[in-house]
Amino acid sequence: MNFSLTVLIWIVVYPIIAFSIGVLLGGYGRKFTARVQRRIGPPWIQPFFDVVKLMSKSTNISHGYMHDAAMMMLIGGTVMTLYFVPVPGFAYFSQFGDFLVIAYLILVPSLGMALGVGETANPNGSIGISRALQMMVGYEMPFVLTFIGMAMLNGTTSMYELILRQQAGGIATWGIVTNPLLGIAALISLQGMMNEKPFEVIVAPHEIATGPMTEMGGKYLGMMFIQHLIAIVVEMTIYINLFLGGARNWLELIVKLFAVWTLILSVHGVYGRFRTDDAIRFLWRVPLPLAAVGVFGIMLGIG
Amino acid sequence: MVTLYLLILPLAGLLLTTLVAIAGGAGGDGNGAGAPGAARALVLNKAVALLGFGAITALAILARGEIGAIVEGPVVLGFSLSFGLTPLSWYFVMMIAGLTFLTVVFSLASVRGGYPMYYGWLFAKTFGMFGVVMAGDLLSFFILWEVMSWATFFLMQQGTQEARRAAVGYLVYALVASMALFAGVFLLYRAAGSFAYADIAGAIAGFNIGMLLLAVALTIVPMLVEAATYPAHWWKPPSYAATETALTGYLSGISTRIGIYGMVLFIFVVFGLETIDRLWISTYLNLRVIIMVLAALTMVVPTFTALFQHDAKRLMTWHSIGQGGYMLVGIASGSVLGVAGGLFHVFTYLTYVALILFSIAAVESRTGTTNLNKLGGLIKKMPLSFLGLLFGIIGLAGIPPMNGFVSKWLIYRSLILGGHPFIALAAFTATVGTILSVYKLIHNIFLGQLPERYKDVREVGPVMQIPIVILMITVFATGAFPGLVLPWVARIQESLGLTPIAWSLTGVAPEMGQLNMAVISAVFTGTFLLGWLIYAIGGKRKHVGQYDNYAAGHFLDASVPYNYNYEFYSGIEHIFGRLYERPPIKRAEAGLVELLKRAGDFTRRIYTGHLNTYLAYTVVAVLLTIVILKGGL
Amino acid sequence: MEQRMTQRSAWDAVLARLRKRSLFMLHYCTGCGAIELPPTMTSRFDMERLGIMPMVTPRQADILLITGYLSVKTLKRVVLIYEQMQAPKYVVGFGSCTINGGMYWNSYATMKSLDQYVPVELYLAGCMPRPEAIITGFSELIDRIGRGEANSWKDYYENYEFYKKNQLHLFGEIETYQDIPADAQKFGITGVRA
Repeated sequence: MNFSLTVLIWIVVYPIIAFSIGVLLGGYGRKFTARVQRRIGPPWIQPFFDVVKLMSKSTNISHGYMHDAAMMMLIGGTVMTLYFVPVPGFAYFSQFGDFLVIAYLILVPSLGMALGVGETANPNGSIGISRALQMMVGYEMPFVLTFIGMAMLNGTTSMYELILRQQAGGIATWGIVTNPLLGIAALISLQGMMNEKPFEVIVAPHEIATGPMTEMGGKYLGMMFIQHLIAIVVEMTIYINLFLGGARNWLELIVKLFAVWTLILSVHGVYGRFRTDDAIRFLWRVPLPLAAVGVFGIMLGIG
Repeated sequence: MVTLYLLILPLAGLLLTTLVAIAGGAGGDGNGAGAPGAARALVLNKAVALLGFGAITALAILARGEIGAIVEGPVVLGFSLSFGLTPLSWYFVMMIAGLTFLTVVFSLASVRGGYPMYYGWLFAKTFGMFGVVMAGDLLSFFILWEVMSWATFFLMQQGTQEARRAAVGYLVYALVASMALFAGVFLLYRAAGSFAYADIAGAIAGFNIGMLLLAVALTIVPMLVEAATYPAHWWKPPSYAATETALTGYLSGISTRIGIYGMVLFIFVVFGLETIDRLWISTYLNLRVIIMVLAALTMVVPTFTALFQHDAKRLMTWHSIGQGGYMLVGIASGSVLGVAGGLFHVFTYLTYVALILFSIAAVESRTGTTNLNKLGGLIKKMPLSFLGLLFGIIGLAGIPPMNGFVSKWLIYRSLILGGHPFIALAAFTATVGTILSVYKLIHNIFLGQLPERYKDVREVGPVMQIPIVILMITVFATGAFPGLVLPWVARIQESLGLTPIAWSLTGVAPEMGQLNMAVISAVFTGTFLLGWLIYAIGGKRKHVGQYDNYAAGHFLDASVPYNYNYEFYSGIEHIFGRLYERPPIKRAEAGLVELLKRAGDFTRRIYTGHLNTYLAYTVVAVLLTIVILKGGL
Repeated sequence: MEQRMTQRSAWDAVLARLRKRSLFMLHYCTGCGAIELPPTMTSRFDMERLGIMPMVTPRQADILLITGYLSVKTLKRVVLIYEQMQAPKYVVGFGSCTINGGMYWNSYATMKSLDQYVPVELYLAGCMPRPEAIITGFSELIDRIGRGEANSWKDYYENYEFYKKNQLHLFGEIETYQDIPADAQKFGITGVRA
């Protein structure tokens, strides 16, 4: 793919599209949870109002330059990951970075947030970050193992090629159909990656005063909200690209996003919160062995 | 004859600094107490070191043109030693020279005790390391290996009582390894009739499996010990953590990696891949896979041990053990990307670990401690050290856009495409563990609340800032343009008879995979600007101090400790706590020490130390001799 | 409480319309009022459909809900929290105790009128107000924000001497690490006094 005007337009427009879909997903999430709890719930674009309200605060409090820069790194990192994940119509950056690059770029926003929260000098924030990093140990291992399995099976570490192969073969070649163990393991780890209950240990309002968000207000909190909305799109798109055959057009992508999101919300809505070490133990006892069995199968030639 | 001067200069430096130290009348407790002559001697030594190592670095750069030339050294026991530069040697020579020079510059300001022979031992160690990597035959290799081990011991033991004791621990491991190496060298000499690598490689081709196994055990295992591979890694944490912090950076950066040089030398040059592969148990399980599994264990276990440490230097030492695993796994895999990744990792690791440890040393020089439970909040007081540590930890964790990512990418790709998924998982687990512990490092030192006692701390002076800045630039530049160093790695691979990696200025050529670091760095900058734009859309902001903080309505001030430092990863400590407290290898080592002590106690019964017993022995021996002589006659 | 009308541009009008749809609430659950909040938030009355969500720290919140009487000790903390919040912020006095001391009108230990110490945007009368009353009150607040009339927070910056005098009289000096007059200068907070 060469650099062209189309690519340039995509570069400008893609974050906005992702943010809009994120807003709808977020609002749908709140509506869905409300309906599960037999309430009406806020309107679908409620996250948009939240973000506008936060970004328009008149006085903003920050604890230093690292705090400011960290929020920029937070959004920057997520948008950067966004660019490298191939979507229908825009896979320009896939030639410059494969899945290994994406797996590492996902860590950049967490690191940025961790540094910013560290500077706020609030122990609730530090505890929140410590929990976020510990959860990373929990969910990254099964997720990466599933990816390693898929890469070994297809002989490539490029996400774009994985998508092309799955689309060429139809539903029968989707990752979740050819390797259901890997797909299920990845889905469970996805629940952890997206910080949804029962793995929602980072933001624990009752235990640690919302963790990293403790000292964030105004535009800083607004930027965290924006990042969260884009991040849910990125994470689910990664899962869809690996196991659900990517998407040939945006309608298909949106349908798949909502489908996966509904599945995640269904679990999120009815569970309480694990303790950190319980969450890590669960992620190592259930999805990790599943993924290991799946990878063994691939190594032995089955599946 | 640049090669010759590369060996002579460090020796000359050693001689000069020793003379100056003796003349200065120092040599007492090693803490430079008292004598004004000692202070003058130290200043003179610093000047000698600065000039000497500057010259050595310049020579090392010049030596690039002399690759392939052999220098005949002195004749020892009838054998003539030879030294020469192969591409692999020059790679290591450049790294040694560069790091030592930066360490010397940094030490000028950071070393608090007036150790009289500090720079002398640095010269000695440089001589030893140069000799080892430039050795043209096995005898020179062994002799200079010994010199290097002893120099390391002397370098490490400077300072506190604890440093001395820990250095002795290192010496024990090093001597055992050296003796094994000596036996191995002797064995190979007997088989080949000469010490030259080519002759030995020829002789080895005729070995049977038993001899081959013995030869491998006697040569490669000492290299693994020197590279601190699990389970022979226990000498490293006490000794590296107790010594001067600037030295910890230096030793972690390059000293242990000489073991990696040895591994490459033995696996590819002396033995050769086909020979090594003759040792196998089943189709999948051969010696190289066993080394890779050991390397995987080396990556994972020490990295998670580092999580528990509350001393910054110990934490970094555990990391240096873990990162050695990456290099080993890359080299043992034998594939194009793997070997390139392992070799490149030596370089990237050196840059960022030195950067991290120099920042820690800077903090130590201002606050007097490296105890992570006591520090905090120094970001506002020491911003450059913070930035240095930040670049370093981003590199160590292997996150784009720093250079650590490139070498790790190469290694991961080689593992995944080479059919080693669980080792790739181990590598990734180690990365996640690294992120955890380095975040703890930077959080406990620079973030969080600033304790009252450190409110007057200032940033370090320019002498200490220069190496930090230089390393930061290196880490970033080689991250965006790994093609600055990769051609050298490719040349090394060619010289070893392997397929070289197809590199490009910004990463690898398209047929090797998708990696373009310049684009990644550019996107990084671009999206950061996007973040800045969104930030600017919001309203004005004001900066507040650390006491203006959410504490559920409580009024904060300096008397309230409002910080989270201790047991930073309590969830993981819950899970692994028991293993950490009584680690199996430590128990094995303790058991061995106990056994030796008992054996020593037993011999004490014979060598009792009493004069009477020895007289009795003498009398009995004389009588016995008379009886035997009389009886025999 | 006087109505404050400000001249505003079309952009301000649009922004106010968007902002009123999302309010983060920090409940300072003193006294008895806290008990009326769970019914308001749960299925039957569902405050979330108005866009009002509970938040945990003053940095994140727009509304400070004081749900009952305040003793001298707790009033100090309320002032601290109020000053830590970011503008625009709205204090909602909940229950009679905040209006005139309520049930504790002749106690020596409680404060009698909240708007002497922090500017209050809205009072909800009742001992306790039922969820229907709470929702009516919040709807009124939302409308006021939409019309641009909810500017009591500016009063704190402009009449700081008044509030400070009352605070000093009641509980003396406290260290909130905020410099209100300097902030007013820095952020350019001005309002039109009726």
